[in-house]
Amino acid sequence: MDFDFTPEQLEFKQSTIKFADKELNKDIILRDKEGSFSKGLWKKCADFGILGFPFPKEYGGADCDILTTLLVMEGLGYGCRDNGLIFSINGQMWTVQIPILHFGTTEQKNKYLPRLCSGDLIGANGMTEPGSGSDSFALSTTAKLKDDFYILNGTKTFITNAPIADLFIVFATTDKSKGFMGVTAFLVEKNFSGLKVSKEIEKMGLKTSPMAEVIFEDCKVPAQNRLSKEGNGAIIFNDGIEWERSCMLASDIGVLERQLEVCIKYAKERRQFNKPIGKFQAISHKIADMKVRLETARLILYKVAWLKKTQDRAGMEAAIAKLYLSESLIKSCLDAIQIHGGYGYSTEYEIERELRDSLSSTIYSGTSEIQRNIIAKYLGL
Amino acid sequence: MEIMKDLEKFLLSEIISNSGLDKNFIAPDENLISSGIIDSMGILKLVSYLEKSFNIKIANEEIVPENFQTLNSLVQFVEIKIKK
Repeated sequence: MDFDFTPEQLEFKQSTIKFADKELNKDIILRDKEGSFSKGLWKKCADFGILGFPFPKEYGGADCDILTTLLVMEGLGYGCRDNGLIFSINGQMWTVQIPILHFGTTEQKNKYLPRLCSGDLIGANGMTEPGSGSDSFALSTTAKLKDDFYILNGTKTFITNAPIADLFIVFATTDKSKGFMGVTAFLVEKNFSGLKVSKEIEKMGLKTSPMAEVIFEDCKVPAQNRLSKEGNGAIIFNDGIEWERSCMLASDIGVLERQLEVCIKYAKERRQFNKPIGKFQAISHKIADMKVRLETARLILYKVAWLKKTQDRAGMEAAIAKLYLSESLIKSCLDAIQIHGGYGYSTEYEIERELRDSLSSTIYSGTSEIQRNIIAKYLGL
Repeated sequence: MEIMKDLEKFLLSEIISNSGLDKNFIAPDENLISSGIIDSMGILKLVSYLEKSFNIKIANEEIVPENFQTLNSLVQFVEIKIKK
């Protein structure tokens, strides 16, 4: 078993780290305080090629395989301290671009993918509703076919990128009698009549990633904007969320590594009781645990990537990766604060922001409880 | 008939037994979705089983109610895939 990456793959990662460190961290404390999304930084990431990395060249992508893509995302997470920006990028790549690539018609792919990859369009995925979160397919949003349009009615909430999105993938019920197989997906442009984006939702973390409710009041969607067939919505959603669970947290491997280095440096420099605090087991054991989590999370992530590459479906493994990575991230963020003491609690050191950002990771893409349910179901329980 | 029997056996042993439903028989025209026999996770298990057992490849866009709603529709779908 060869655990090495190729020199080319490592070069991709290193150049991403250099780009991210140089271009994406300006004023991060202020932008987090203000909760402001930077379109300029989004465009820089797009121009660098991040949004198109795993997508075919005909749509403006780089056609990179998933292993290389995740290595790049790991590099992005290591070099870029704006976790909100990375979250928004991931949201578009895995839950907007992937569904269009896998399920779109040639016209839909040609119309939307190049502009999503280039950063000219920003996408958002509209699944969650006020009454359906973990119970994903208990949707109230309906879509009725009338002449050449579907008429959508309902409300979506906690929609990442909604305030800045040009394009939404929206899941609605076209036939309630068919349960989850009565769900259909639609490509809804922001200027379609009947679509309204509400005031931005304030959050405790990932503040530079904007989020809002999206309301559909007799929203007219051309029939050619239906994504795949009626009733295929659940499969589109499951496909996208499996990619999201497999890939979204790759950048958090980079965060874990950066945090570990920061903590090691601090533990060597900070002296108490006449010696570096790293000489006390209370501190060194925490750092050792951070290292264990980083390496274990890395192994799980790349195993999932390999499975996605070789056999496409990896439902249980994606759930395992998402569960372990997200819970590890929070634990390591808590350890980082404790190691830094009062400085860890202060805004200036940026460690408290990492914890605030990390807490959503056990909620989005399916809560930790849902991941455990998925794993148990695959085990036949 | 053989495909029908294999499918019924799989659904009863692997899907229904983990669902909390109490059934030992599935009628050929019984709606597998509205009756709760197949849910959004069960369908992925079923697809995996069909691909392995019958050596077919099922595209995501083929996972629609017309093909998966009843045992009859499943059998018809599998037979068409086998012939291709």
